[in-house]
Amino acid sequence: MTDVLQVEHLSISFGGLKALDDLSFTVGDSEIFGLIGPNGAGKTTVFNCITQFYRPDAGAVWFAPGADRLARAGHHGTDKVDLVGVPVHRVIKHGLVRTFQNVEIIPELSLIDNVLIGGHIDFKASMLAQMFRLPSSRREEAALREKARGALAFLSIDHLADEPAGGQPYGVRKRLEMARTLMAEPRLIILDEPAAGLNESETEGLAETIRRVRDEYGCSILLVEHDMGLVMNVCDRICAISFGKFLAEGTPTQIQRDPKVHEAYLGERDDV
Amino acid sequence: MELLQPLLRSLETGSVYALAALGIILVWRTSRVMHFAQGSMGMFSGTAVAFVFDRTGAPLWASVLVGAVVAILLGFAVDFAVIRRLRRATAVGKEIVTLGLIMVFLGLAPIVFGTDPLLLPKAIPTGDLTLGNANLSYNGLLNILLGVVIAAVLFVVLQKTKIGLAIRATASNESTARLMGIPTKTVTLLAWATAGVLGMLAAVMIAPTTTVTPTFMNTVQVTALFACVLGGFQTFYGPVLGAYLIAIASNFLKLSVSSVWGDQILYLLILVFLLVRPNGLVGKTYLKKV
Amino acid sequence: MSNASAMAVRVARHPHVRFLVFGAVLMTLPALASSGIMMTSTLSTLGFTLIYAIVAMGLNLLLGYSGLISLGTAGFMGLGAYLAAYVQDDLGLGFWVAVLAALIVPTFIGLLVGVVSLRVRSIYLAIATLTISEILLKTFEQAEWFTRGTAGKQSSYPVVLGIQTDRSSMFFIIVVALVLVMMLTHNIVHGQLGRALHAMRSSEVAAQAMGVNVLTYKLFAFAVATMYAGLAGALYLFFLKSSYPSTWNLFLSLNVVAMVVVGGLRSIYGTVAGAFVIFAVPELILKELPVIGDTPGLPYIFSGVLIVVVIMFFPQGLRGLTDLLRGLVTRRPSAAASEQAPEEVAAR
Ligand SMILES: Nc1ncnc2c1ncn2[C@@H]1O[C@H](COP(=O)(O)OP(=O)(O)OP(=O)(O)O)[C@@H](O)[C@H]1O
Ligand SMILES: [Mg+2]
Repeated sequence: MTDVLQVEHLSISFGGLKALDDLSFTVGDSEIFGLIGPNGAGKTTVFNCITQFYRPDAGAVWFAPGADRLARAGHHGTDKVDLVGVPVHRVIKHGLVRTFQNVEIIPELSLIDNVLIGGHIDFKASMLAQMFRLPSSRREEAALREKARGALAFLSIDHLADEPAGGQPYGVRKRLEMARTLMAEPRLIILDEPAAGLNESETEGLAETIRRVRDEYGCSILLVEHDMGLVMNVCDRICAISFGKFLAEGTPTQIQRDPKVHEAYLGERDDV
Repeated sequence: MELLQPLLRSLETGSVYALAALGIILVWRTSRVMHFAQGSMGMFSGTAVAFVFDRTGAPLWASVLVGAVVAILLGFAVDFAVIRRLRRATAVGKEIVTLGLIMVFLGLAPIVFGTDPLLLPKAIPTGDLTLGNANLSYNGLLNILLGVVIAAVLFVVLQKTKIGLAIRATASNESTARLMGIPTKTVTLLAWATAGVLGMLAAVMIAPTTTVTPTFMNTVQVTALFACVLGGFQTFYGPVLGAYLIAIASNFLKLSVSSVWGDQILYLLILVFLLVRPNGLVGKTYLKKV
Repeated sequence: MSNASAMAVRVARHPHVRFLVFGAVLMTLPALASSGIMMTSTLSTLGFTLIYAIVAMGLNLLLGYSGLISLGTAGFMGLGAYLAAYVQDDLGLGFWVAVLAALIVPTFIGLLVGVVSLRVRSIYLAIATLTISEILLKTFEQAEWFTRGTAGKQSSYPVVLGIQTDRSSMFFIIVVALVLVMMLTHNIVHGQLGRALHAMRSSEVAAQAMGVNVLTYKLFAFAVATMYAGLAGALYLFFLKSSYPSTWNLFLSLNVVAMVVVGGLRSIYGTVAGAFVIFAVPELILKELPVIGDTPGLPYIFSGVLIVVVIMFFPQGLRGLTDLLRGLVTRRPSAAASEQAPEEVAAR
């Protein structure tokens, strides 16, 4: 089994604060991998370092984009690339796409237009062709619109396709953000607290959705989540961190039994 | 080339820019608003000074006091009636509002003070100080001292006093400061009033070199903004440093390169400088939290 | 039969067709003027209003869709005007080359400024463009070979497609330009370009994560805005047949900001309406008012207060007003649909 993502010795500090300290973990092919840790442990920072919003002070982020993507990008004789230093907006071209902890959608646009943003890199027509609506650009738009409808349907929100995203309830907006990631035909989807703000039945649905995405899109999923029920239910493997440092890694059962994890969460929450 | 003379001159104009820039940075740090109307508000209260001086025959210091009251009231009014109510507007929205304020004050000035250009004399009409080959008028010395002393006093207030601490706390994080019980509303109100007074002083200092018309603060406005860009928006002293540097560079460029295009060349140089140091001379690079 | 009529309805509903109809209506104005129903000076005012609508359309793309402020509008517009005069009258190269020069040169300069300032922080664009505008203004005053300095550059109505134009035919040309600009703007904002701009303004991080190169798109919006300004400058020159440096000052740039804000961010017709309110209303109505009519500075206060009041209380601008009216007349069916959405989701 090949690994999709290898995070190696990642470190970053903000001023005096060492937010990540020599952190390493690996996400396998078609794996659902959980990253857990108390508030402020540095989980979102890991995501930001992987997707190049932050540039780590040290360490590497090896990513295996798949043979066809590698060939297209002109990488030969290797099956993985180090994402560190790749411009933020190029990361998605490798097949790595993410959601945000505070749901970043575009409220003024309809749901389908929001999803189309996720297909941005597939718009190949030149700016001029788009400005003058040349046939090539119109065909492309129509095809991607179809694809976007498919992504909305996958998350059962296609009936809202033409509604503005701003007025939608939280659950819909979270699903919309997920739908947007599907446009990129991802190898790895990174989800930052997908269950936050969802009610119990919505969370159950989410577990189901995450598995379906993995199965039908054949991608891996890396997720941060505080809802331990969800994490333990859906993840194949879990990595626990605290204060930016590696604590433990293993299957949900192993993590649940790990004394270090208990210690880190002690007083924080007792549902581990 | 004689160096001392242009240097002294630069310090004089530098003080004007420094005071205006201090106003902009105070407002920026406390209200997160780019105060495009700093020059226009200074123009308005500066014109008030010239108007009172011209019409009532009051002494200059008394006219300046009246101007300060006008400036403070304007600062209060703008923050209280407009800026404070823009909590929900975007940063761009707030910027646009200060652009609108430029027009409001530009339109108000001739209505309130008439359309005849006014004159304002120097605070110290005559007298020169000789320093080697160079001359410095007493008035020039006063201007330099005003700039340096006011900046210094402000820094001391910011560093050593309770209100200074409140301002710095508001500057670094408004919502945290509010949670800690700091009256952030009072802080911004004070910042706007102080900015107003600083703008008025800049206007009074520059006025004797020109006539008091609605556009007489335009150069000061642009230069003060550039001083902030050059010095960086993250510290209070950066813009002051930027202001003096710009004044010096401008004077030397005018003397040695082009008397007509000196300032223009300087502006372009500063823009190019931004490519090298995007956050200005003393600005730290900061990482936007995602 | 019903197929054909459905087709006809589709065509009529197409936004481009509406722009054409809008243009056709505007084209009747010169006839009103020549038949004496409307004063010729009013026609001139309306012509300038449409020219300002073109500039404002560009700024709306920049401000409304990408959340960036440019204070260089007047400078770029002035540059377009002087270039048009220089190419047509001094070089004798004719109307089309003049327009082309007015489109290309300001855009190029604008791009340079944008590349420098936008890498840093969005707000620096405002300061950088403010400066470039000041530099251009100074150039207009000083470069006498190019602009005749403060004495002003004189020009003449151009020959277009072999026809000598006059005030009415220039008005037609302005309308054609405006309609083209409206169509182009519509295409931009309703395609992926517009979505990317939207994404960038609303959440820069999300846009980047989705592969939008933020710098490219900011530059794109700024380039289009500058190009529209250059075009409007050329049209201004040909309509007025002269240009003076004092026209191209900061307050023109601020007025264009006011047009965008008052008309409503992200609204094409709103921008035209905004240009009318900010430029034509002071000219046609305020000046005629008794007592306050000739107060100095009245148009400035009018624009300034409108900017502040609109941002504070009516962030949607005039567009919000029409939405409100439409809402009173018809109840949108989609509103009902979205009210149901929460239950459906919860039931799942
Ligand atoms: N751009 C930044 N500048 C300064 N400090 C930062 C920045 N980003 C993150 N931090 C700090 O790094 C630490 C880790 O933050 P991070 O957001 O990664 O935590 P987290 O594990 O995602 O927490 P939560 O569960 O609350 O989302 C925190 O102390 C945070 O304040
Ligand atoms: Mg987090």
